[in-house]
Amino acid sequence: MALKQPLILLVLATVISLAVNVVSPNSIPLVGKYRSLSSGNGPIIPPTAEKGDPPFIDVNQAQVEHEIGSAQFVDAREPEEFMCGTIPGSINIPFEHMPEGDLGRYLDSALAGVPRDRALVTFCSGEECDLSLHLGRNLYTYGYTNVLIFFGGSREWEKFGFEIERRAECGS
Amino acid sequence: MRQLIDNDYLTMLSRLLVGGMYIVASVYKIIEPASFAKSIWQYHLVPGSLINLMALILPWLELLIGLAIIIGIAYRGSIWWANLLLIVFIAALASTIVRGLDIECGCFKAGQSATEPAWQSLVFDVAAMLFALQLWFSRSKKWMLRRA
Repeated sequence: MALKQPLILLVLATVISLAVNVVSPNSIPLVGKYRSLSSGNGPIIPPTAEKGDPPFIDVNQAQVEHEIGSAQFVDAREPEEFMCGTIPGSINIPFEHMPEGDLGRYLDSALAGVPRDRALVTFCSGEECDLSLHLGRNLYTYGYTNVLIFFGGSREWEKFGFEIERRAECGS
Repeated sequence: MRQLIDNDYLTMLSRLLVGGMYIVASVYKIIEPASFAKSIWQYHLVPGSLINLMALILPWLELLIGLAIIIGIAYRGSIWWANLLLIVFIAALASTIVRGLDIECGCFKAGQSATEPAWQSLVFDVAAMLFALQLWFSRSKKWMLRRA
């Protein structure tokens, strides 16, 4: 047999998988954009973090979640800041503007149809703001089971050279 | 010992277990290649440029060898892969334990946080390896579509 059969199986698997990937609704690019991990120093975890908080992720994992597209990014900052520049594809739930009372219903409508077990990545500007932490905690409390907090926020995202979506011209 | 290893019924049982395991493991990965790509990325063992290709090809290889082992076609080559892949999986899982990575296995399902500790998956794979090795050494040729 030697290596003939294993090779045939590998070639067959390659041909089928690439063909299926062309027609599949869940297809992925053949070469993904994964960064090397050398530049990250692990997730930034704020001193205010408590046991039981949703997990904190670093810029590497945030980038992978974004690249794969399985997670919904949620910007916890003010609408003006969101308009000036945010992680592409994010939705804005300004934590400071959250209503008193039935927060669950508010979050559900803000997230309009996002399944409760989908990954949600909360972020704000960066280390100096903890809106992402508070929003993440609230989402988690109100039944969103897969919350991730990207505490490095939009600043770390931009610092590492990733694209920023700007909806409005703003002074720097 | 030799008799036990060559036993037709034991060999068939191993074929069903190992083949079935590979088929079951391939399904979610084929349906959700992006999730599987993320699982591979989390191991930090594969170069970034190869992750997606691996996420696409590996599940189909698993499905093919699973089917081939059960049906009994391209049999030796499939057993070869079944053993090699298990060695790779065991090494990868062991490395996550050594490095202290707390990640999801990505073995049978995706998109969930690390609910099952790596050592559990490792024990499972080592057990599967016993059956795969039995197939490697067994000379039984019963109930096969093509006795190659």
